[in-house]
Amino acid sequence: MSIGSKDVLHVAGLAELDVPAAELQTLAEQMGRIVEYVAQLNAVPAGEQAAPFLVGSHAAPLRDDEVRPMPLAQGPEAIAPEFRDGFFLVPRLGTMEDE
Amino acid sequence: MSAVATIANVVGSGRTTAASAAREVTRLLAEADSRGLNATLHWSATNIAREAGAVDDRIRTGEANLPLAGVPVALKDNIVTTDAPTTCGSRILERYVSPFEATVVTRLRAAGALIAAKTNLDEFAMGSSTEHSAFGRVRHPMDSDLVPGGSSGGSAALVAAGVVPAALGSETGGSVLQPASFCGVVGVKPTYGRVSRYGLVAFGSSLDCISVFGRTVDDAARILAVISGLDPYDATTVDAPLPPAFVEARPLAGLRVGLPREYLPDDLHPGVRAGVDRAIARLRDLGATVVPVSLPHTAYAVPTYYVLAPAEAASNLARYDGARYGSRQPGPDGDLRGLYRATRGHGFGPEVRRRILVGTYVLSAGYYNAYYRKAQQVRNLLAADFTRAFREDRVDLLLTPTTPTPAFRAGEKTSDPVAMYLADIFVCGASLAGLPAMSLPAGRSDGLPVGVQLIAPAFGESQMLQVAAALEQVLPGDEETR
Repeated sequence: MSIGSKDVLHVAGLAELDVPAAELQTLAEQMGRIVEYVAQLNAVPAGEQAAPFLVGSHAAPLRDDEVRPMPLAQGPEAIAPEFRDGFFLVPRLGTMEDE
Repeated sequence: MSAVATIANVVGSGRTTAASAAREVTRLLAEADSRGLNATLHWSATNIAREAGAVDDRIRTGEANLPLAGVPVALKDNIVTTDAPTTCGSRILERYVSPFEATVVTRLRAAGALIAAKTNLDEFAMGSSTEHSAFGRVRHPMDSDLVPGGSSGGSAALVAAGVVPAALGSETGGSVLQPASFCGVVGVKPTYGRVSRYGLVAFGSSLDCISVFGRTVDDAARILAVISGLDPYDATTVDAPLPPAFVEARPLAGLRVGLPREYLPDDLHPGVRAGVDRAIARLRDLGATVVPVSLPHTAYAVPTYYVLAPAEAASNLARYDGARYGSRQPGPDGDLRGLYRATRGHGFGPEVRRRILVGTYVLSAGYYNAYYRKAQQVRNLLAADFTRAFREDRVDLLLTPTTPTPAFRAGEKTSDPVAMYLADIFVCGASLAGLPAMSLPAGRSDGLPVGVQLIAPAFGESQMLQVAAALEQVLPGDEETR
């Protein structure tokens, strides 16, 4: 795939990076060479659904995503100004009063 | 006895002082500077003497557990310290001093080590020759026209020149093993998660590992033992049994070593090939079995690396925008985006700019699946190759050349980035798979060091170091390989 100066300027904009005009042509050639080189990965048979790599997962498996009780040092009723039937009571908002 | 063990022993037992060790390393650092090695970016005789004084006070007050008492250790300048700048070899961080200290530095100091110097590197650890430092290239200690490898070239050169017995570097895709091979020293990259990266300036977060250089296997092992272990400041660290505090050669009878055929191409440099052949012969002499294995996706390691590492770098380096860190360059129109663009355009050198652009390109809409996602999938295949070799071929370790050639001449590869990237062809696979690996000197080719690489299963550092220690005794690094 060929990369031109316009492509370099577009990507540089995305990366918030000034590129000197004098370097544009060389950068386009070098990026083109790199992208052409890494494009050989497309020759590797790996289906659409092939799993991506997750570093360190063999050693630090994620725990099951289960909800667990998180006991508080004090119950919410002890620290809330008002608490009733499992809910915090808060002042009614002015806009709601108007409605 | 290794240099690290000797110094720790004589200082810890009171036969000499850390202050004396400090004076010696100060003299050697000054000598290295006067030789024009350009391996250091910052060092201070005052700081080293102060650290040594603190170590001597601890010994005088009876503190016994100082496994690195008075041992000078150099740090790659992308590991943060509070008493010296951390530049990452970049103009954008020139004069930047971190408000906090890396965990590895805290652990080294707690063990009695002296932080001797911050070492030169390819800018933000991006390079294979240490020619991409904003502060000038590092010279190879044996021939100043050659490169020491990179990106941790300053640390490797300082150990090879005999200035310090050990140094820290960082490995993202070969940045410790490759310069260790070029300079004829030992380099050890631990398993991903073995050593805390808290305080290592991020480049490729799924790859970065703080790693160790030593003159010998035991030197490196003693440092690794101190810096390893779980760290609450780094959620990627793993609570695994620690590597040994010192290394003794183990008998190799019953050991199975795999020799991946993809790492021994027909056009491999003959001196490097001869180094591998010597290592194979010595392993067999010691009772090990060496068997051929295949890692079929090896050819894709470098292209995979050069999609993923630039992508992660583009993200990690977004924080250097002139607003929070380092230097600031106002834009022509005085607006904020102009400030970002001018600061980054002026502050980053050519290789970093190139990688940010490539990384942004492969992450951009329309190219993400073709490049980034594909590379992540191939990375899985590369890792599976290693798993298959260890589990199905039942090999304990893999043996390969570390680099395709000995050290090359400065300027030889700077105009062709892909040619430079291929210098890491044998070392980036272990990084991609998160495995421990090390480079061990295997002799010399026309006077230049060549190394062999050992790769172990995850958290298999102990066996890898013990085998390397046995091999080291029968594989002199200063003999011609052919």
